[in-house]
Amino acid sequence: MDLIASVQTGYGVWDPVAWLIAFVVATIVVYLLWKTGESSYKRGTEQGRPYLSGNAEPEKGAVHIRASNLYWGYLQALKGYYDTIVPMHTGILTDYVVWFVAVTAVLLVIVGVLS
Amino acid sequence: MKLTKSFNRSLWVFHLNTGSCNGCEIEIVATVAPRYDPERFGMRLVGSPKHADVLLVTGPVTKKMAQKVRRVYAQVPDPKVVMCIGTCGQSGGVFYDSYNLDGPIDQVLPVDVYVPGCPPRPEAIIYGVVKALEKLERLEAAQ
Repeated sequence: MDLIASVQTGYGVWDPVAWLIAFVVATIVVYLLWKTGESSYKRGTEQGRPYLSGNAEPEKGAVHIRASNLYWGYLQALKGYYDTIVPMHTGILTDYVVWFVAVTAVLLVIVGVLS
Repeated sequence: MKLTKSFNRSLWVFHLNTGSCNGCEIEIVATVAPRYDPERFGMRLVGSPKHADVLLVTGPVTKKMAQKVRRVYAQVPDPKVVMCIGTCGQSGGVFYDSYNLDGPIDQVLPVDVYVPGCPPRPEAIIYGVVKALEKLERLEAAQ
């Protein structure tokens, strides 16, 4: 099998040599663009940080799009449900135990009535 | 003035208002407008200090602006030159005894070129830029 031969796919041609030449040309163009950049800047100082009208750079999480933005519509559609359910999540273990005992008691009563 | 490599590279300028009344800004805009057209020599205002060779500072440096001024100065790549445009930056001007100043500018940054006036005329600003260019050439030669 000839590794550098052109392959006719029926839809076009795959030529490894042409691809390699394109890759080398692209690399040279990227290198030339990179060389035109400011080389004297000091890493790890303000020169390496973004310019935000003189303001300090906020934490990345404060300026980037958060994952919750992706399901914002879902939360908005179920706003009534979440407004009720979220305050119930107090984070206190005894609250959850009380809920567990209460719901279990209700279920036992229902099961008892039905049977 | 001898033209050197730094002139070939062209001089990019970042303007920073530290609490100016905008009089100096109007003259800076007049300076870069077509009547004087310093862009034919490659001199232009840029939108980021990270692209600049010269920091053009106007105003007396209010307390709110002092930290921002230091940060912007730190973001200008070396070698860099600071130009103080107008009387406020030199002495505080009419705001000299204000409770709200951390300036004048030389109390906050090392200034290389002063252009006096309230506000200075475009000719004076251009003369100051030429002086800044000479200083920049010396700094680059020393590097």
